[in-house]
Amino acid sequence: MEVSIDHGNVAIYIIEGIIIFAILFNIFRARKGKKLFIRRIPGLSALDEAVGRATEMGRPMLYSPGIRGIDIVGLQSMAILSHVIRQAAKFGSKTIVPVADALLFTVAEEVTKDAYSAEGVPEMFESQDVRFLSERQFSWASGVVGIQHREKVASCFYFGSFFAESLIVAENGQMVGAIQIAGTPSTTQIPFFLATCDYTIIGDEYFAASAYLSREPTLLGSLVGQDYGKFLIVIIMFIGAIIATIAANSSNTELINFLDNYFLKYFPGGIK
Amino acid sequence: MINLLSTLQSWFAIPRKGWELTIYLSISIAICILILYLIMCIPPRFRKAIIIMLTFIGGLYFSIEYLIPKENALTRGMPVLSDILMIISCFALFLGIGNLFRIHGRSVIRKAEGWYNGAAFFVAFFSIIIIGLLKDWRMTSLAKLEPGSAKYIAVEQAGKINADIYSILFNGFLASLDATMFSLIAFYIVSAAYRAFRIRSSEAVLMMVAATIIMLALVPVGARITNWLPETGFLSIFRVENIGYWIITWPNMAVQRAIGFGIAVGSLATGLRIWLSLERGSFFDRQL
Repeated sequence: MEVSIDHGNVAIYIIEGIIIFAILFNIFRARKGKKLFIRRIPGLSALDEAVGRATEMGRPMLYSPGIRGIDIVGLQSMAILSHVIRQAAKFGSKTIVPVADALLFTVAEEVTKDAYSAEGVPEMFESQDVRFLSERQFSWASGVVGIQHREKVASCFYFGSFFAESLIVAENGQMVGAIQIAGTPSTTQIPFFLATCDYTIIGDEYFAASAYLSREPTLLGSLVGQDYGKFLIVIIMFIGAIIATIAANSSNTELINFLDNYFLKYFPGGIK
Repeated sequence: MINLLSTLQSWFAIPRKGWELTIYLSISIAICILILYLIMCIPPRFRKAIIIMLTFIGGLYFSIEYLIPKENALTRGMPVLSDILMIISCFALFLGIGNLFRIHGRSVIRKAEGWYNGAAFFVAFFSIIIIGLLKDWRMTSLAKLEPGSAKYIAVEQAGKINADIYSILFNGFLASLDATMFSLIAFYIVSAAYRAFRIRSSEAVLMMVAATIIMLALVPVGARITNWLPETGFLSIFRVENIGYWIITWPNMAVQRAIGFGIAVGSLATGLRIWLSLERGSFFDRQL
């Protein structure tokens, strides 16, 4: 049977099946009242500190959800936006949300309205706080830079998918003296954020944000399930490294064929 | 069912022109407005159930399409779904443009600080739309005229002027401004690197050493520093270019992959929660 990377195969059924089971099992365990531990993530703990700083300085904050649209990363960003707006509403601070995707703009507007309402201050929402700038990468970046300088923002939050514009916006945030917190799964942009931001949330910490901030049992359970999944991947990598090493160095054709047919074949793209 | 969808897809893909196109567009917009109206008419308690059901069906479609080991009947429906998503995005684009008009319009009307930026937006917006539409209209008109006729020559000349203005607006302004913003990164990298290289902790020292080696490995002068070491044999591993290559290929790649695995599992968990409507917090569990 031809194994394709564009479609599932036996290895994917087994691995995904186990991870999905682990996630759902832990979600339902947490919902039943099981106490789950979540380690401290400094970047996420600093969110409230950044909101407080903006309040003290009497200057607005900037929340950027990146330049991609509605996807898993974008939806996570909206969950974090909701938390930031609620905190801002408690302190009476203003948050500007420049958006680069029209579909995400509508969601961001609803999330912002909703967060203000949840804190009992719906009148704090102003339609110009959530701004659709442009769908073009650098047009959006220049718009954000303009807002940073004109409004003299005190805190900048960058949560979402970023590309080459990440350094432009984060460096300008530095120039206006804002406290900056970034979180992105875009691995190529992490170094830029590390160099320019006060706190950077990297990799899967980004997906832990909603659980960490809300302490909602469903999300905490899911987070523990993810850890089981990562542990499974580590085991597979370990076994895979041993099998690939044996297959590469053995002269026993039967053994190589056996390993290829029953393991390596199901991981197309890997070293055989 | 799949064959019916394929036939429908082919039928919709036939290019329409003139009045036929206008009628098709009008009917499509009317249907979309009707769907939106019907959604708004649904009582809130049922609205959430419908959204949960549609999310589940959508997720199930994509999951089954992927999990079947080869291209299948569902794969053929993927372009149709992409088109639907694009149409929904186009509707949202109107809302985005509306927001731009509201913000900049208010700024211009009230003569607020920086109102001229708002005015520049309106000038740029309408210039590129008008010139772009005129350019396309002239091209379409040209195809209907007899080549060599006086009207043909007049329309052709006007079309050329339009195309030139469009090129000035797009390549001369927009592309150049994009390139300007992109080129700024070079300067920002220097200031960011300066800040990153300040030795504040043991991690910063490690980062600075690794970055210095990589920089030296990528420039000829760096290679000259360890040129005296042999190119083969044990001592060759201490050549700057080999150490740089090792850092990029092994420790760096291992970390990138580790982050990648974490992101993949995180995406899977978030996707699963949204698909099964288990997501909580933010807008997911509010009354619609």
